[in-house]
Amino acid sequence: MSTVALERDVATQGRVIVALTERALRVQMRRAQFLLPSFLLPLLLLAVIASGTSAAQQLPGFPSTGSYVGFVVSGTIMQGTLLAGLMAGIAIASDIEGGFFDRLLSAPVNRASIVLGRVLGTAVIGIAQAVLFLSVALAFGADFPGGIVGVALAILLAALSASAAAGLGAAIALRTGSLSLMQNLFPFVFVLLFIAPAFFPRELLSPVLETISVVNPLSYVVEGMRGALFDSSALGSVALGFAAAAGSVLLTCALAVWAMRARVRS
Amino acid sequence: MNGAEKLGRRTDATIEAEGLERVYPGGLRAVDGVDLAVEAGEIYGFLGPNGAGKSTTVRILTTLLRPTAGHARVAGYDVVKQASQVRRSIGVALQEAALDPLMTGRELLQLQGALHGLRRAESRSRAEQLLERVDLVDAADRLLNTYSGGMRRRLDLAMALVHRPSVLFLDEPTTGLDPVSRSSLWGELRSLNDEGTTIFLTTQYLEEAEQLADRVGIIDHGKIVAEGTPQELGRLVGDPGLYVKLIDPSQSDRARELLAVHGSVSDRGEGCLSLRTVLGARAIAPIVRTLDEAQIEVDAVEVEEPTLDDVFLAVTGHRAEEPGEDGSP
Amino acid sequence: MSTSGLAYTGGVGFALWRRSLLELARVRGGLLPTTLAPLIFLLGSLGQFGRLDQLVGFPTTSYIAWLVPLSCLQAAGFAGGATGANLARDIEAGWFDRLLSSPAPRPLLILGPVMAAVTRCLVPVTVILAAGLVLGPGLTGGLFGIAMLYLAAVSFSIVASLWGITLALRARSQQVGPLIQNGVFVAVFLSTAYTPLPFLKGWLAVAAPYNPVTYVLQMGRQATVSGIEPSWAHTWPGLLALAGMVALFGLLALRQLRRVDR
Repeated sequence: MSTVALERDVATQGRVIVALTERALRVQMRRAQFLLPSFLLPLLLLAVIASGTSAAQQLPGFPSTGSYVGFVVSGTIMQGTLLAGLMAGIAIASDIEGGFFDRLLSAPVNRASIVLGRVLGTAVIGIAQAVLFLSVALAFGADFPGGIVGVALAILLAALSASAAAGLGAAIALRTGSLSLMQNLFPFVFVLLFIAPAFFPRELLSPVLETISVVNPLSYVVEGMRGALFDSSALGSVALGFAAAAGSVLLTCALAVWAMRARVRS
Repeated sequence: MNGAEKLGRRTDATIEAEGLERVYPGGLRAVDGVDLAVEAGEIYGFLGPNGAGKSTTVRILTTLLRPTAGHARVAGYDVVKQASQVRRSIGVALQEAALDPLMTGRELLQLQGALHGLRRAESRSRAEQLLERVDLVDAADRLLNTYSGGMRRRLDLAMALVHRPSVLFLDEPTTGLDPVSRSSLWGELRSLNDEGTTIFLTTQYLEEAEQLADRVGIIDHGKIVAEGTPQELGRLVGDPGLYVKLIDPSQSDRARELLAVHGSVSDRGEGCLSLRTVLGARAIAPIVRTLDEAQIEVDAVEVEEPTLDDVFLAVTGHRAEEPGEDGSP
Repeated sequence: MSTSGLAYTGGVGFALWRRSLLELARVRGGLLPTTLAPLIFLLGSLGQFGRLDQLVGFPTTSYIAWLVPLSCLQAAGFAGGATGANLARDIEAGWFDRLLSSPAPRPLLILGPVMAAVTRCLVPVTVILAAGLVLGPGLTGGLFGIAMLYLAAVSFSIVASLWGITLALRARSQQVGPLIQNGVFVAVFLSTAYTPLPFLKGWLAVAAPYNPVTYVLQMGRQATVSGIEPSWAHTWPGLLALAGMVALFGLLALRQLRRVDR
């Protein structure tokens, strides 16, 4: 392939990805009743946890972060991005069951672009969630010493986390093609969330969970988010967070592309 | 039976409605001033395309929906003020054939019996009896999700009969059924009617109305646009039609000239002609003879039954188009 | 009501209850979601917030003892809400029309889902209680405590079922399902779900005392929480709250049922 053709190809695929991202977002917006829970449920749980467990700050070893809501909001962002990833999987499964997916496949579109379009669309939703949840936390008295830079880094981590979740959702949806299976995965969002130090510092988790959380990449992402927001390496390493998030994106997107190839072959 | 005679005001009708209207909250006027008078022992066919207001009318008459204006009496009771007496008198089989897929035919019949206040033993023997009647004894203890469409409709009918109702409402009882299931259901309805049950059925098929109904009402855009015996309605369409197919399409011009003496001929292309003639089926022999003498070979001659569409066109001046959601056909 | 009327009512009630049982028996794994979700929530919350029992003044030294009644209530609420969602499905499928066109008295028609809720909730509640017993220190409230926990859970499943029925009759669409369950979630968690009243902060400290579920939880917690010893004082507010909620949502459901032909 000559350089010119390659450039044209890259440009074409870029346009395809943008178009698919737009479509993913537009359809999600129109099915607001499906998208809305991924914004409302985390807020609901945030409200319950921030108010119901804030006495935890009196526990010995609980890091002092000013307001408690500021500490737990990172877990809320994780929950939102996981739900958004699940929604992406559900959207793909309903595209497959509805037949729209076959039309996409019959278009001269790179298979990876189809996955990427969906992943980027979800990343945008992840950013929107992070902005909303952080604003709510600020409104309820949170204070982020990390400042603008810390908040920006946290939002970037949210975007990566949403991308990884979308990759995972897409991989499962493409592999199974079953809408009802995707809908039944809902409780597993909470499994992933609860085996990370989403709302409590890792040292204060129950011992079993503390052990499990070591292998959960979400643990490092949520800690990285706290590290960035509070500009505190004691709370978490921002670099480790980005490494875990980026690694998860690469892994899950590769899985999704592989599942796509398997679907096209069968 | 003479339809015109029945159109006069009768007060002892089993189903009567006056100025029945239903406007949905969105503003859709589904039923727009329907008058009905169905006599005891009659089979009344309610004919119309999808969305004409058939089902809404049935839902009002079976107490499932309140009219927004007008009133109706079924079996002598007001459908709004005396709803529970109406429910005791009627059997209902609605369009969706709503049957719980996780129950067996026998269980469904016994549940229906309980709903109508039958004692357990009574309910059990009645179920047995009805299963036999609709020929479902072998399938009685299978789950509903193993039933075919025809079996579901037969069970649906049996459930409507549990309490020996005097009036039976059927909403499109044979839509989607194969011809064999359809004619067996027709047979069952006829024998029920012979036993004295008044039957009100909606249908999209003119043939069904002709086969079963003593009288037919045609509904369009929520209004009854024609009413009478099937023969009377058939006559509205005009002369019966014949369909002639030639083996050699190039002879169709010649055939058209020759057949003009029997009635009005139109060319449908590809060697097919249609002929309207007062003689109807009796015109077949002369037609074949005429064409044979001219050495034009005939592939097929058939009597064309007028369709609901034809009647509709004759009565309303427009086709019985189905109102699609997006307006496209 | 005459004897035959009573027999009729009993007959219809029994028939509808049997139908709801068939659904349990014949859908494989039908109870799995309503059991699994509260169980995951129980284990997850335990793992996250387990150290809260070290707070000075916490009424038990075992956080799981605090959480198990919550999860039982949550499971019972979801089981009850699910019957509302099932009613919406029955309405969409036209099955409910069949019941409506029968002469059965209208209130009996919602008795079926309510009794289904009672039956359904027993399975997840028992599973969660058993899981709690395996992980936790045991039943501090004795037989009375267990009886109060089951009474609280079963009654709460009735409340959730009536709430679900009201929404289902109003919306007549299965899409109302998530709304029903989110309502149950909010009601259960805007209470003393994670910590007792003295530890609540902010707006929840204001709201929780007004949430009847707070008292239903207290009633159920007599079974496992050593600091809430079995007593009439820990029982009557819960009973009152349940009676009030059953009356309120029962009336709403009946009102909606009367409007079903409009």
